[in-house]
Amino acid sequence: MALSALAPAYSPFFGCMGAASAIIFSSLGAAYGTAKSGVGISAMAIMKPDLIMKSIIPVVMAGILAIYGLVVAALIIGKIGAAPGYTLFDSFCHFSAGLSVGICGIAAGFAIGIVGDAGVRATAQQPRLFVGMILILIFGEVLGLYGFIVGVMLHLKVQS
Amino acid sequence: MGAYDSGRGGKGSYATGCYAAYVIILLVFISIGLFYMFSGRGSEFDVGWVLESISSYTWACVGIAIAISFSVLGAAWGMFITGASIVGAGVKAPRIKTKNLVSVIFCEAVAIYGIIIAIILVQNIDDTTPEDWLDNYNTYIFNGYCLFFAGLLTGMCNLACGICVGIVGSGAALADAQNGELFVRILVIEIFGSAIGLFGVIIAVLLGNNRKISSS
Repeated sequence: MALSALAPAYSPFFGCMGAASAIIFSSLGAAYGTAKSGVGISAMAIMKPDLIMKSIIPVVMAGILAIYGLVVAALIIGKIGAAPGYTLFDSFCHFSAGLSVGICGIAAGFAIGIVGDAGVRATAQQPRLFVGMILILIFGEVLGLYGFIVGVMLHLKVQS
Repeated sequence: MGAYDSGRGGKGSYATGCYAAYVIILLVFISIGLFYMFSGRGSEFDVGWVLESISSYTWACVGIAIAISFSVLGAAWGMFITGASIVGAGVKAPRIKTKNLVSVIFCEAVAIYGIIIAIILVQNIDDTTPEDWLDNYNTYIFNGYCLFFAGLLTGMCNLACGICVGIVGSGAALADAQNGELFVRILVIEIFGSAIGLFGVIIAVLLGNNRKISSS
Protein backbone atom coordinates (compact mmCIF):
# COMPACT_ATOMS: atom_id res chain seq x y z
CA MET A 1 0.00 0.00 0.00
CA ALA A 2 3.03 2.29 0.12
CA LEU A 3 2.45 5.10 -2.31
CA SER A 4 6.04 6.13 -2.73
CA ALA A 5 9.41 5.55 -1.24
CA LEU A 6 9.55 9.14 -0.02
CA ALA A 7 6.24 9.01 1.81
CA PRO A 8 5.30 5.46 2.79
CA ALA A 9 2.24 4.94 4.91
CA TYR A 10 4.27 4.61 8.11
CA SER A 11 6.01 7.99 7.76
CA PRO A 12 3.88 9.88 10.33
CA PHE A 13 5.08 7.44 13.02
CA PHE A 14 8.36 9.24 13.64
CA GLY A 15 6.79 12.70 13.55
CA CYS A 16 4.25 11.69 16.17
CA MET A 17 7.04 10.10 18.22
CA GLY A 18 8.90 13.41 18.04
CA ALA A 19 5.91 15.34 19.35
CA ALA A 20 5.45 12.81 22.15
CA SER A 21 9.15 12.77 23.08
CA ALA A 22 9.25 16.55 23.26
CA ILE A 23 6.58 16.79 25.92
CA ILE A 24 7.33 13.52 27.75
CA PHE A 25 11.02 14.06 28.41
CA SER A 26 10.77 17.75 29.19
CA SER A 27 7.93 16.99 31.62
CA LEU A 28 10.11 14.38 33.31
CA GLY A 29 12.87 16.97 33.66
CA ALA A 30 10.49 19.61 34.95
CA ALA A 31 8.96 17.18 37.44
CA TYR A 32 12.37 16.17 38.75
CA GLY A 33 13.43 19.80 39.10
CA THR A 34 10.20 20.76 40.86
CA ALA A 35 10.25 17.81 43.27
CA LYS A 36 13.93 18.02 44.18
CA SER A 37 13.83 21.78 44.75
CA GLY A 38 10.52 21.44 46.57
CA VAL A 39 12.06 19.09 49.10
CA GLY A 40 14.88 21.59 49.71
CA ILE A 41 12.44 24.47 50.07
CA SER A 42 10.25 22.53 52.54
CA ALA A 43 13.29 21.71 54.66
CA MET A 44 14.61 25.28 54.54
CA ALA A 45 11.22 26.85 55.23
CA ILE A 46 11.11 25.58 58.79
CA MET A 47 14.05 27.76 59.80
CA LYS A 48 13.56 30.73 57.43
CA PRO A 49 9.90 31.08 56.34
CA ASP A 50 10.44 34.52 54.80
CA LEU A 51 12.82 33.10 52.20
CA ILE A 52 10.22 30.80 50.63
CA MET A 53 9.07 33.18 47.91
CA LYS A 54 12.66 33.94 46.84
CA SER A 55 13.39 30.21 46.77
CA ILE A 56 10.57 29.43 44.32
CA ILE A 57 12.94 30.50 41.51
CA PRO A 58 14.32 26.97 40.83
CA VAL A 59 10.75 25.66 40.63
CA VAL A 60 9.78 28.33 38.10
CA MET A 61 12.85 27.58 36.01
CA ALA A 62 12.01 23.89 35.97
CA GLY A 63 8.48 24.76 34.83
CA ILE A 64 9.92 26.74 31.94
CA LEU A 65 11.57 23.54 30.66
CA ALA A 66 8.14 21.96 30.36
CA ILE A 67 7.02 25.00 28.39
CA TYR A 68 9.91 24.52 25.92
CA GLY A 69 8.69 20.97 25.33
CA LEU A 70 5.08 22.14 25.06
CA VAL A 71 5.95 24.73 22.40
CA VAL A 72 7.95 22.32 20.24
CA ALA A 73 5.29 19.61 20.56
CA ALA A 74 2.55 22.05 19.56
CA LEU A 75 4.63 23.26 16.59
CA ILE A 76 5.18 19.67 15.44
CA ILE A 77 1.50 18.71 15.77
CA GLY A 78 0.61 21.71 13.63
CA LYS A 79 2.58 20.28 10.75
CA ILE A 80 2.08 16.50 10.92
CA GLY A 81 -0.32 14.77 8.57
CA ALA A 82 -0.95 11.50 6.78
CA ALA A 83 1.14 10.23 3.88
CA PRO A 84 1.68 11.17 1.05
CA GLY A 85 1.63 14.82 2.06
CA TYR A 86 3.99 14.15 4.94
CA THR A 87 7.28 12.70 3.75
CA LEU A 88 9.91 10.71 5.62
CA PHE A 89 12.11 13.81 5.59
CA ASP A 90 9.48 15.82 7.45
CA SER A 91 8.91 12.93 9.80
CA PHE A 92 12.52 12.44 10.78
CA CYS A 93 13.10 16.19 11.16
CA HIS A 94 10.23 16.32 13.62
CA PHE A 95 11.51 13.20 15.39
CA SER A 96 14.89 14.80 15.84
CA ALA A 97 13.35 18.09 16.97
CA GLY A 98 11.33 16.32 19.64
CA LEU A 99 14.26 14.28 20.90
CA SER A 100 16.48 17.37 21.02
CA VAL A 101 14.20 19.45 23.17
CA GLY A 102 13.14 16.45 25.25
CA ILE A 103 16.46 15.02 26.24
CA CYS A 104 18.02 18.46 26.75
CA GLY A 105 15.02 19.26 28.92
CA ILE A 106 15.44 16.20 31.10
CA ALA A 107 19.14 16.94 31.55
CA ALA A 108 18.49 20.58 32.40
CA GLY A 109 15.74 19.52 34.80
CA PHE A 110 18.14 17.27 36.67
CA ALA A 111 20.67 20.09 36.90
CA ILE A 112 18.13 22.66 38.07
CA GLY A 113 16.66 20.26 40.61
CA ILE A 114 19.90 19.30 42.29
CA VAL A 115 21.35 22.82 42.22
CA GLY A 116 18.06 24.26 43.44
CA ASP A 117 17.89 21.81 46.34
CA ALA A 118 21.45 22.48 47.49
CA GLY A 119 21.17 26.20 46.69
CA VAL A 120 18.09 27.00 48.72
CA ARG A 121 19.41 25.11 51.73
CA ALA A 122 22.72 26.97 51.49
CA THR A 123 21.09 30.37 50.88
CA ALA A 124 19.07 29.97 54.07
CA GLN A 125 22.30 29.67 56.01
CA GLN A 126 24.38 32.21 54.03
CA PRO A 127 22.28 34.88 52.24
CA ARG A 128 25.23 36.05 50.11
CA LEU A 129 25.03 32.78 48.16
CA PHE A 130 21.70 33.72 46.55
CA VAL A 131 23.24 35.43 43.50
CA GLY A 132 25.61 32.52 42.98
CA MET A 133 22.74 30.04 43.07
CA ILE A 134 20.83 32.10 40.48
CA LEU A 135 23.86 32.20 38.17
CA ILE A 136 24.30 28.42 38.31
CA LEU A 137 20.57 27.90 37.72
CA ILE A 138 20.67 30.16 34.68
CA PHE A 139 23.49 28.11 33.19
CA GLY A 140 21.42 25.00 33.75
CA GLU A 141 18.33 26.56 32.17
CA VAL A 142 20.34 27.56 29.13
CA LEU A 143 21.00 23.87 28.43
CA GLY A 144 17.28 23.39 27.93
CA LEU A 145 17.21 26.48 25.77
CA TYR A 146 19.87 25.02 23.45
CA GLY A 147 17.67 21.97 22.90
CA PHE A 148 14.71 24.25 22.23
CA ILE A 149 16.68 26.25 19.65
CA VAL A 150 17.80 23.13 17.81
CA GLY A 151 14.26 21.75 17.95
CA VAL A 152 12.78 24.89 16.42
CA MET A 153 15.51 25.03 13.75
CA LEU A 154 14.76 21.43 12.72
CA HIS A 155 11.05 22.16 12.70
CA LEU A 156 11.54 25.14 10.41
CA LYS A 157 13.17 22.84 7.84
CA VAL A 158 9.80 21.23 7.19
CA GLN A 159 7.91 23.13 4.53
CA SER A 160 4.39 22.03 3.68
CA MET B 1 21.08 -13.37 58.78
CA GLY B 2 22.35 -16.02 56.37
CA ALA B 3 18.93 -17.68 56.02
CA TYR B 4 17.29 -14.41 54.83
CA ASP B 5 20.15 -13.47 52.48
CA SER B 6 18.60 -15.40 49.60
CA GLY B 7 21.06 -14.90 46.73
CA ARG B 8 20.89 -11.10 46.86
CA GLY B 9 23.82 -9.63 44.96
CA GLY B 10 26.07 -6.83 46.08
CA LYS B 11 25.42 -3.11 45.88
CA GLY B 12 24.26 -1.96 42.47
CA SER B 13 23.58 -5.42 41.14
CA TYR B 14 20.03 -4.36 40.21
CA ALA B 15 21.41 -1.59 38.05
CA THR B 16 23.98 -3.93 36.52
CA GLY B 17 21.20 -6.45 35.83
CA CYS B 18 19.06 -3.81 34.08
CA TYR B 19 22.03 -2.62 32.01
CA ALA B 20 22.85 -6.22 31.04
CA ALA B 21 19.21 -6.85 30.01
CA TYR B 22 19.14 -3.76 27.74
CA VAL B 23 22.48 -4.68 26.15
CA ILE B 24 21.39 -8.27 25.54
CA ILE B 25 18.10 -7.21 23.90
CA LEU B 26 19.94 -4.70 21.70
CA LEU B 27 22.52 -7.35 20.69
CA VAL B 28 19.70 -9.79 19.80
CA PHE B 29 18.15 -7.27 17.40
CA ILE B 30 21.51 -6.34 15.92
CA SER B 31 22.53 -9.95 15.38
CA ILE B 32 19.18 -10.86 13.78
CA GLY B 33 19.66 -7.92 11.41
CA LEU B 34 23.22 -8.98 10.62
CA PHE B 35 22.09 -12.55 9.89
CA TYR B 36 19.52 -11.22 7.41
CA MET B 37 22.05 -8.89 5.82
CA PHE B 38 24.83 -11.42 5.37
CA SER B 39 22.48 -14.00 3.85
CA GLY B 40 21.44 -11.56 1.14
CA ARG B 41 17.96 -10.93 2.52
CA GLY B 42 18.71 -7.55 4.05
CA SER B 43 15.60 -5.95 2.59
CA GLU B 44 13.42 -8.34 4.60
CA PHE B 45 14.53 -6.79 7.92
CA ASP B 46 11.91 -4.12 7.52
CA VAL B 47 11.00 -1.79 10.38
CA GLY B 48 8.51 0.06 8.19
CA TRP B 49 6.64 -3.17 7.40
CA VAL B 50 6.32 -3.86 11.14
CA LEU B 51 4.99 -0.34 11.79
CA GLU B 52 2.44 -0.65 9.01
CA SER B 53 1.32 -4.22 9.70
CA ILE B 54 0.56 -3.63 13.36
CA SER B 55 -3.11 -2.76 13.12
CA SER B 56 -4.11 0.83 13.77
CA TYR B 57 -6.57 -0.50 16.29
CA THR B 58 -3.65 -2.02 18.21
CA TRP B 59 -1.84 1.29 18.26
CA ALA B 60 -4.96 3.18 19.34
CA CYS B 61 -6.05 0.74 22.03
CA VAL B 62 -2.58 0.34 23.54
CA GLY B 63 -2.33 4.13 23.64
CA ILE B 64 -5.63 4.40 25.49
CA ALA B 65 -4.55 1.71 27.96
CA ILE B 66 -1.24 3.46 28.64
CA ALA B 67 -3.03 6.79 29.11
CA ILE B 68 -5.28 5.61 31.89
CA SER B 69 -2.99 3.08 33.53
CA PHE B 70 0.14 5.22 33.82
CA SER B 71 -1.86 8.28 34.92
CA VAL B 72 -3.46 6.26 37.70
CA LEU B 73 -0.05 4.79 38.57
CA GLY B 74 1.35 8.31 38.94
CA ALA B 75 -1.60 9.42 41.02
CA ALA B 76 -1.32 6.39 43.29
CA TRP B 77 2.42 6.79 43.70
CA GLY B 78 2.00 10.44 44.65
CA MET B 79 -0.78 9.59 47.05
CA PHE B 80 1.22 7.04 48.97
CA ILE B 81 4.27 9.29 49.15
CA THR B 82 2.31 12.20 50.54
CA GLY B 83 -0.11 10.09 52.58
CA ALA B 84 2.64 8.35 54.48
CA SER B 85 4.15 11.73 55.40
CA ILE B 86 0.80 13.21 56.41
CA VAL B 87 -0.05 10.44 58.84
CA GLY B 88 3.52 10.22 60.07
CA ALA B 89 3.79 13.92 60.82
CA GLY B 90 0.23 13.90 62.15
CA VAL B 91 1.23 11.76 65.11
CA LYS B 92 2.62 14.81 66.90
CA ALA B 93 0.56 17.44 65.05
CA PRO B 94 -2.89 16.03 64.27
CA ARG B 95 -4.15 19.46 63.20
CA ILE B 96 -2.47 19.01 59.79
CA LYS B 97 -4.67 16.16 58.63
CA THR B 98 -7.55 18.11 57.07
CA LYS B 99 -5.49 20.85 55.42
CA ASN B 100 -3.04 18.40 53.83
CA LEU B 101 -5.81 16.45 52.12
CA VAL B 102 -5.41 19.12 49.44
CA SER B 103 -2.15 17.43 48.42
CA VAL B 104 -3.98 14.13 48.03
CA ILE B 105 -6.63 15.86 45.93
CA PHE B 106 -3.92 17.28 43.65
CA CYS B 107 -2.75 13.70 43.07
CA GLU B 108 -6.34 12.63 42.35
CA ALA B 109 -6.54 15.38 39.73
CA VAL B 110 -3.72 13.66 37.86
CA ALA B 111 -5.83 10.51 37.58
CA ILE B 112 -8.77 12.62 36.40
CA TYR B 113 -6.56 14.07 33.62
CA GLY B 114 -5.79 10.52 32.53
CA ILE B 115 -9.39 9.38 32.43
CA ILE B 116 -10.49 12.50 30.53
CA ILE B 117 -7.89 11.88 27.81
CA ALA B 118 -8.72 8.16 27.68
CA ILE B 119 -12.42 8.93 27.18
CA ILE B 120 -11.58 11.49 24.46
CA LEU B 121 -9.38 8.94 22.69
CA VAL B 122 -11.96 6.14 22.96
CA GLN B 123 -14.52 8.19 21.01
CA ASN B 124 -12.27 7.94 17.96
CA ILE B 125 -12.33 4.21 17.39
CA ASP B 126 -15.15 2.24 15.82
CA ASP B 127 -15.65 -0.49 13.28
CA THR B 128 -14.69 -0.05 9.62
CA THR B 129 -15.68 -1.83 6.44
CA PRO B 130 -12.90 -3.30 4.24
CA GLU B 131 -13.70 -0.88 1.39
CA ASP B 132 -13.56 2.09 3.72
CA TRP B 133 -10.26 0.81 5.07
CA LEU B 134 -8.70 0.62 1.59
CA ASP B 135 -10.02 4.06 0.65
CA ASN B 136 -8.63 5.84 3.70
CA TYR B 137 -5.63 3.60 4.37
CA ASN B 138 -3.05 6.33 4.93
CA THR B 139 -5.36 8.42 7.11
CA TYR B 140 -6.29 5.51 9.37
CA ILE B 141 -2.63 4.49 9.78
CA PHE B 142 -1.80 8.09 10.73
CA ASN B 143 -4.73 8.27 13.14
CA GLY B 144 -3.61 5.05 14.81
CA TYR B 145 -0.16 6.51 15.45
CA CYS B 146 -1.64 9.78 16.75
CA LEU B 147 -3.90 8.00 19.22
CA PHE B 148 -1.02 5.82 20.44
CA PHE B 149 1.30 8.75 21.06
CA ALA B 150 -1.44 10.90 22.56
CA GLY B 151 -2.13 8.16 25.09
CA LEU B 152 1.56 7.46 25.72
CA LEU B 153 2.41 11.08 26.38
CA THR B 154 -0.56 11.51 28.71
CA GLY B 155 0.47 8.47 30.72
CA MET B 156 4.11 9.46 30.99
CA CYS B 157 3.51 13.15 31.81
CA ASN B 158 0.94 12.26 34.44
CA LEU B 159 3.27 9.66 35.93
CA ALA B 160 5.96 12.31 36.34
CA CYS B 161 3.44 14.89 37.59
CA GLY B 162 1.89 12.54 40.14
CA ILE B 163 5.21 11.56 41.68
CA CYS B 164 6.34 15.20 41.72
CA VAL B 165 3.16 16.39 43.44
CA GLY B 166 3.48 13.54 45.94
CA ILE B 167 7.05 14.40 46.86
CA VAL B 168 6.29 18.10 47.25
CA GLY B 169 3.14 17.31 49.23
CA SER B 170 5.20 15.16 51.55
CA GLY B 171 7.56 18.09 52.15
CA ALA B 172 4.59 20.39 52.71
CA ALA B 173 3.09 18.07 55.33
CA LEU B 174 6.34 17.84 57.24
CA ALA B 175 6.84 21.62 57.15
CA ASP B 176 3.21 22.20 58.14
CA ALA B 177 3.66 20.02 61.21
CA GLN B 178 6.46 22.31 62.37
CA ASN B 179 4.85 25.66 61.50
CA GLY B 180 1.25 26.06 60.44
CA GLU B 181 1.81 29.07 58.17
CA LEU B 182 4.17 27.28 55.79
CA PHE B 183 1.63 25.02 54.10
CA VAL B 184 -0.01 27.62 51.88
CA ARG B 185 3.34 28.87 50.58
CA ILE B 186 4.64 25.40 49.78
CA LEU B 187 1.32 24.70 48.04
CA VAL B 188 2.51 27.14 45.34
CA ILE B 189 5.21 24.61 44.42
CA GLU B 190 2.58 21.88 44.18
CA ILE B 191 0.61 24.01 41.75
CA PHE B 192 3.71 24.32 39.53
CA GLY B 193 4.02 20.55 39.65
CA SER B 194 0.39 20.09 38.72
CA ALA B 195 0.88 22.30 35.67
CA ILE B 196 3.16 19.63 34.20
CA GLY B 197 0.28 17.17 33.93
CA LEU B 198 -1.85 19.90 32.42
CA PHE B 199 0.71 20.50 29.65
CA GLY B 200 0.50 16.80 28.84
CA VAL B 201 -3.29 17.02 28.61
CA ILE B 202 -3.07 20.02 26.26
CA ILE B 203 -0.70 18.25 23.86
CA ALA B 204 -2.69 15.02 24.04
CA VAL B 205 -5.88 16.86 23.09
CA LEU B 206 -4.06 18.59 20.20
CA LEU B 207 -2.64 15.28 18.99
CA GLY B 208 -5.52 12.91 19.65
CA ASN B 209 -8.66 14.94 19.10
CA ASN B 210 -10.81 13.96 16.12
CA ARG B 211 -8.45 11.30 14.73
CA LYS B 212 -11.17 8.87 13.78
CA ILE B 213 -10.68 5.24 12.76
CA SER B 214 -14.32 4.55 11.96
CA SER B 215 -16.69 4.26 9.05
CA SER B 216 -19.54 6.17 10.64
